[in-house]
Amino acid sequence: MSSKSSLLKVILLGDGGVGKSSLMNRYVTNKFDSHLFHTIGVEFLNKDLEVDGRTVTLQIWDTAGQERFRSLRTPFYRGSDCCLLTFSVDDGQSFRNLANWKKEFVYYADVKDPDTFPFVVLGNKVDVSERQVSREEALQWCRDNGDYAYYETSAKDATNVSAAFEEAVRRVLATEDRAEHLIPTDTVNLHRKPRTGAPCC
Amino acid sequence: MAATTPPKVIFEHEGVFIHSNTEELEDQDSLISGYLRIVDKDGETVVEYKPLEDTVDPSNMLCACKDSSSVVEWTQRPHRTVDQQLSYETEWDMVNAVSFKRKAHTNGEGGSNHLNERNKGAFSFNVADLRSVTVKCEGWSYLIFCLKDDTTLPAIHFHQGGSQAFLDGLRKSVQLTESPDDENILLVGAYSKAFSQSFENLLDDTNYGLVQKFKKDPYTTTLGGFSKVTNYFFDAFRPSESECQQRPVEEMADILGELIPGLEINQQEEPGFEVITRVDLGTRPEVQRREPVMMEDWAKHQDSEGRVSNVPHLKHLIFKGGLCHAVRKDAWKFLLDYYPWDSTHEERKNLQKRKTDEYFRMKLQWKSVSEEQEKRNSRLRDYKSLIEKDVNRTDRTNKFYEGLDNPGLILLHDILMTYCMYDFDLGYVQGMSDLLSPILYVMENEVDAFWCFVSFMDQMHENFEEQMQGMKTQLIQLSTLLRLLDLAFWNYLEAQDSGYLYFCFRWLLIRFKRELHFQDVLRLWEVMWTGLPCHNFHLLVCCAILDSEKQKIMDRHYGFNEILKHINELSMKLDIEEILIKSEAIYMQIKNCKDLPNSVSDILGLNAVTNDSTLETSEYGVLESPQSSPRPAHRQDQAYSNGHGLLQEASHNRCKVAFIS
Repeated sequence: MSSKSSLLKVILLGDGGVGKSSLMNRYVTNKFDSHLFHTIGVEFLNKDLEVDGRTVTLQIWDTAGQERFRSLRTPFYRGSDCCLLTFSVDDGQSFRNLANWKKEFVYYADVKDPDTFPFVVLGNKVDVSERQVSREEALQWCRDNGDYAYYETSAKDATNVSAAFEEAVRRVLATEDRAEHLIPTDTVNLHRKPRTGAPCC
Repeated sequence: MAATTPPKVIFEHEGVFIHSNTEELEDQDSLISGYLRIVDKDGETVVEYKPLEDTVDPSNMLCACKDSSSVVEWTQRPHRTVDQQLSYETEWDMVNAVSFKRKAHTNGEGGSNHLNERNKGAFSFNVADLRSVTVKCEGWSYLIFCLKDDTTLPAIHFHQGGSQAFLDGLRKSVQLTESPDDENILLVGAYSKAFSQSFENLLDDTNYGLVQKFKKDPYTTTLGGFSKVTNYFFDAFRPSESECQQRPVEEMADILGELIPGLEINQQEEPGFEVITRVDLGTRPEVQRREPVMMEDWAKHQDSEGRVSNVPHLKHLIFKGGLCHAVRKDAWKFLLDYYPWDSTHEERKNLQKRKTDEYFRMKLQWKSVSEEQEKRNSRLRDYKSLIEKDVNRTDRTNKFYEGLDNPGLILLHDILMTYCMYDFDLGYVQGMSDLLSPILYVMENEVDAFWCFVSFMDQMHENFEEQMQGMKTQLIQLSTLLRLLDLAFWNYLEAQDSGYLYFCFRWLLIRFKRELHFQDVLRLWEVMWTGLPCHNFHLLVCCAILDSEKQKIMDRHYGFNEILKHINELSMKLDIEEILIKSEAIYMQIKNCKDLPNSVSDILGLNAVTNDSTLETSEYGVLESPQSSPRPAHRQDQAYSNGHGLLQEASHNRCKVAFIS
């Protein structure tokens, strides 16, 4: 399928318990449940939205965060248009693990050019008073890694959640617009196996 | 021992079509729908196409003969002749009275001879006679087979997908390489079977077909056999060319491996993708559930000293009806092997005392780790941090765990932390809190809950290990069962890239904990813990749920994402009694099947002589089978009886891979 399709796949990655499912649920259903089950396996939700006059369907993928589940999580990375690297501002370790998450994503998503791939960084749980990660630290990491957009969010009180997802969409669309001037997006990569949705049976 | 082995369907796909108007039959403008099968008959691999309407009448079928010099027509004959031994019977649905009659065939009229018009185009040929396969695509894929005698068979159109799976199936028998002149043409190379087989198969006495053939026709068989041996050595010593040829058997394993990194499939044995004979499962029997076991029933099964008597009968009752809640606290300890069934009150009291000491000794270990120590122990720190997070996210709507300072939460936390000390290598893995929560809820006691949880974890351990081998094995086993139960559905899933059943991951990892209402989880688990009626009953539970959903999935043409979403959203919408009835019915259906593939009997443990009889005999109080759980690790080439006089050949599948064909 061409990446020009209006369906955009974004994937939430980050340590267990940083609030990936809560962010997804807040954004799609505008609800928050502090007692939500931790995710086992992989789930996704769709949401239609309009960004700068363009209507897109955002398909948000949510995964189990524990290291152990890597082999069952990574097959779903392929075809992602954007990756939301998520940590919790009250958990320094989850912030320090961002680099690992990025590495894992780049490797398994088969990202051709990691330098231009749209990552967005979310520092969740800003409603919590005991911070372990400062805004400056996080911004610095984003600058060092390739000018990623950074959003401090709270799934609990809905702070910045929509803004973060909308930014993800903008970044994807911007990347595609740039790519359109360079190469046709419908080029078939002969080295990859045909994917779902190929016209052949 | 039977002289010949029954034909085995390596691949079958319903819903392929011949366009009659594109062939000579221009007066008919219709699609002829049919089956395409790859059949293994005494080591010969035969591709067959049969129109759907024609499946019960093979008498008109044409077969290209092995040496391509003639076409053999099927006719009804009272007795077998030597003639037939040279050919390949495709008798999955036939009686023995069918035989072959040779019929002259000239190359000039080849095409139409292979297409029997009267019979709307049934044909079959030996893959050894296949020269090339042309793969074309016009919105759907179609294949054109060209035989070595220049016969071109009518195009087979895959309007419902499956061409790739067919080619994969074909690759198990032959090498297919893209033609240098035309990328649409796959040229058929030498037999690749020899490659994947070890030398021992050369001498393996599973080659009864060959022995039998030799008796009937020593000359042809010997020459044929020698030519294959030549091929074998030729292939074996040809250097790199064979390596760069297309992957045959390994194809499926590769696809799986690609989707689930780290997944290693033993490609010699192809556990998930070994041949499954197309089996007629017969009708699914009616199954009745019973009332739960009440306190009185439970008490009746204990003698004055507290030993539980007539355990098989009791287990059978629990399997059929579950337990009423009041019995659970006691009964689960036995079902989970915390208490031995034959222990007395006194012995259990001592056991509990010992286990209490042991528990608190381990609990003290993590309790006494200072903050400073913890800073230097990243693994413990990680376990602890995740346990704290997950305890707050486990069954919080359940009364036992709701609210802020519920003692249930502290117990859940402490038991999981202590389990890390009990098994530090495994530590805490997400999903474990789901497995503990119902047990703690029933036990209402920290120590008992811990030890029952330990027993449950013993069963589930592999699922949580680093490589998650347990999960991979189960997904492959489930796939094997699904293919037996409904090949068309499995093909559909595979066509949607969902053949590796990822969407069942949560079901299997935490045994339906998130799929069912809390009380129903208790029911399902106690039923499962009886170990009845077979091994891996939970996989039949998966099959039962999928059986109820498959029509919807196929009718609505769900793709990869929709299937995952649909299955995820079944959560809390499932009816446990309905599922248990269907699961047991599927078990009965499989058990009653006479030609069960060994792969399936292995998964369900139906080969163990005594195992299967437990359910029936338990009604009469016969002692429990001494070998109720483990599957035979290495099975010999000998026949097993499943206790019903049904003999199953352990070497069944090996025959198919025997290289001399």
